[in-house]
Amino acid sequence: QSFKLLGFLDVKNVPCARDSVLYGSLGSLVMGLGHFLATSRVKRSCDVAVGGFICTMLGYWFYCRFDLAQQKIRQRMLKEGMKNRVLFEGSYLDPEKKQTGSERGDS
Amino acid sequence: MANHSQFGFQDASSPIMEELMQFHDHALMVALAICSLVLYLLAHMLSEKLSSSTVNAQEIELVWTILPAMVLVMLALPSLRILYMMDEINEPDLTLKAIGHQWYWTYEYTDLKDLTFDSYMTPTADLPLGHFRLLEVDHRVIVPTNSTVRVIVTADDVLHSWAVPSLGVKTDAIPGRLNQTSFLTPRPGIYYGQCSEICGANHSFMPIVVEAVPLANFENWSSLSSS
Repeated sequence: QSFKLLGFLDVKNVPCARDSVLYGSLGSLVMGLGHFLATSRVKRSCDVAVGGFICTMLGYWFYCRFDLAQQKIRQRMLKEGMKNRVLFEGSYLDPEKKQTGSERGDS
Repeated sequence: MANHSQFGFQDASSPIMEELMQFHDHALMVALAICSLVLYLLAHMLSEKLSSSTVNAQEIELVWTILPAMVLVMLALPSLRILYMMDEINEPDLTLKAIGHQWYWTYEYTDLKDLTFDSYMTPTADLPLGHFRLLEVDHRVIVPTNSTVRVIVTADDVLHSWAVPSLGVKTDAIPGRLNQTSFLTPRPGIYYGQCSEICGANHSFMPIVVEAVPLANFENWSSLSSS
């Protein structure tokens, strides 16, 4: 199942989308309300709220996607490392064997 | 393959397709931000009286120059990254020729000895139970998993297009021209596609089926097929 915001953004299935929209809404509320409490200007506060929504949503989106990309790279490295460990364990290419060999050489 | 009434992408089966789907999500998020702004401006203008007393619009002109430029940068940078990634020179493990005809595909594995076959759609009347209508073929394209496959696409008569959505591949088949694309599929599976350039009466009836199998299975298949 999917829930599409404005009919095109699937916030349920796209990673980071739901959090971005929610944080954007929170940021919009905080900034708009804060501006109104400080200045008592309604229309300008609405402008600040919409601006805050866009900036907070996009800001969190970039941060979350960057984090996700780094996580994917770490996952790939881990997967490769596990595969290599299984392949090379006990052989001359085993990095752990080389380490213990060098320790014996030092002593 | 796509389900009936499917609107979104099929699941990605290659790294390039995963990147494309992530870029698509990013582009939609930027589109959401722009749509929100436009909707708000519309609502704002509808609530104002119609009057224009602007003589100096320096600030607004600065805003509506800088903002679109930033939007373009936000979209262009990831897009160019993927574009260059798709064009990377990688040493392919297998080269395959796909030749479009009216209305079937011919596949040539010239790396292997004289392996050439035609791939016709399985007619609905001959379809076994559980198979997909208008998508199954008599001879599938067999490729090994975790291996870069280069596909050289051309056509024999009119324009065709060799497309497999889940692999992120679509390449025009043009008579007298060789177009090249490549893909890598990390896991075994069967991937469906259809001809994507209008080519006559049976344009919708010349599907493409790529079957990715482990390397050992691929070697068995190629040795059996060659003999």
